[in-house]
Amino acid sequence: MEIYCLQLGMLTKFDYCVSMNEGLPCRNLIGCWRDRTDVVAFLNKTLTEDELRKTFSGLPKSKIDRIVDIIKSLKKED
Amino acid sequence: MNKKIFLNETDIPREWYNIQADLPTPVPPPLHPGTGQPITPDMLAPIFPMNLIEQEISQERWIKIPHEVLEKLYMWRPSPLYRATNLEKFLDTPARIYYKNEGVSPPGSHKPNTAIPQVYYNKIFGIKRISTETGAGQWGSALSFACNQFDLEAKVYMVRVSYNQKPYRRVMMETWGAKCVPSPSPETSAGKKFFEENPEHPGSLGIAISEAVEDAVTSKDTRYALGSVLNHVLMHQTIIGLEAQKQMAMINKYPNVIIGCCGGGSNFPGLSFPYVRDKIYGRDLQVIACEPTSCPTMTKGPYVYDFGDTAKTTPLLPMHSLGSGFIPAGIHAGGLRYHGMAPLVSRCITDGLIEARAFNQLETFAAGLTWARTEGFIPAPETNHAIASVIEEAKRAKEEGKEKVILFNWSGHGIIDLAAYDAYLAGKLTDYEMPSEEIERLVCDLKRC
Repeated sequence: MEIYCLQLGMLTKFDYCVSMNEGLPCRNLIGCWRDRTDVVAFLNKTLTEDELRKTFSGLPKSKIDRIVDIIKSLKKED
Repeated sequence: MNKKIFLNETDIPREWYNIQADLPTPVPPPLHPGTGQPITPDMLAPIFPMNLIEQEISQERWIKIPHEVLEKLYMWRPSPLYRATNLEKFLDTPARIYYKNEGVSPPGSHKPNTAIPQVYYNKIFGIKRISTETGAGQWGSALSFACNQFDLEAKVYMVRVSYNQKPYRRVMMETWGAKCVPSPSPETSAGKKFFEENPEHPGSLGIAISEAVEDAVTSKDTRYALGSVLNHVLMHQTIIGLEAQKQMAMINKYPNVIIGCCGGGSNFPGLSFPYVRDKIYGRDLQVIACEPTSCPTMTKGPYVYDFGDTAKTTPLLPMHSLGSGFIPAGIHAGGLRYHGMAPLVSRCITDGLIEARAFNQLETFAAGLTWARTEGFIPAPETNHAIASVIEEAKRAKEEGKEKVILFNWSGHGIIDLAAYDAYLAGKLTDYEMPSEEIERLVCDLKRC
């Protein structure tokens, strides 16, 4: 079963969407798959509360936030 | 009646339009969510040349397009303005539908409108090499093309799962002389830790960004380039709308409705911002940004974990379910209200200058098919969101008996995305329930049982 992922510009399988974020789901999983399956029930069944928090708590980082974070962490490594 | 309206090269716009000069309320600098502090130009200096950072914060209304940039843009610009007469007939609508065909650029999309100037400004800043990431491959191929034009090296980190599934994008990049590597790669610290765990790791856009940024920060004479979201990227794209204004004037038309698809924001503001300026100064005009229902950044909001629901009956709630006035802690009322969207687009929505609409995947592919079977060109799947909105507006015009003029941005062709059309035509993208045994298998995989 596949969907067209606009981020990657390609067909992606559910397996990828639920594990692409270092073993955790993509932030867009619910929006992309909700028409196909009860994805909220699926997540509640498979993920711990910590994992749910890690994946969905707060707002997703914007691209600029991410970039600034990466620069900061690289500077720290120096 | 002309099907195509061409602008002479001599009439190409000589300046980009910077909407920041005209916005009723200025866009504050974005705040870093971790620190709550504004993201300042010096924080971006390790990855962008200062001349582009200056454009990023400029409040000047018009920025001159360098002659060297125009010379490259002439390869496909001014892009033609078309009238979609076949679609009009098919829909039996009194609406007049016009579109800017941005699929005529060498990489096939609007992306080189900013790739060309970004590479030029890097070059005159003394940069020899540019790194970037790509998911779908549109941006990666546009940047590869632009680097080739200015004789700079390009290094593109392409999400491995996409690298494997979309070889033609990689071939495009390599044909233009870029080095395209699957991400995670063993070439950066960020990629190495995933690569060493699993050399066939499928990757993600997050990892690819980390690799490209690390490459820029740690390599000599290298900078990073981004194809959306940033103010200067949107400004470079305004050449689309500025050309369209001249072309529409040639046929004595002014649009009632402007439409574009909007992911992070680049092609939509490119067409619409010069018109939004007219709206700011009193023109009656409807401006519609289209997005997917799966990621409703502008129309709703992202899904967040609801900490308040201790009963855990519905622990995952979309933020929009908390009410349209809800603004989560740490998010100021300016640029980040519509998270992930370009701050300038967000501001225009907040100020009521732009409205947003969402379309689901199936209706967008259906719209793309209607387009291909009437107007001939096969649209990129992103572009289909705009076409779905155009069809909706044209039907509304018919119901209302109004001769509306609709103008939209046909942002790119879908010739390298035929696998998506193949899946749609084969019925693989239709809504059907996931079999229970498939769910059980996935539960088992995730719990490693």
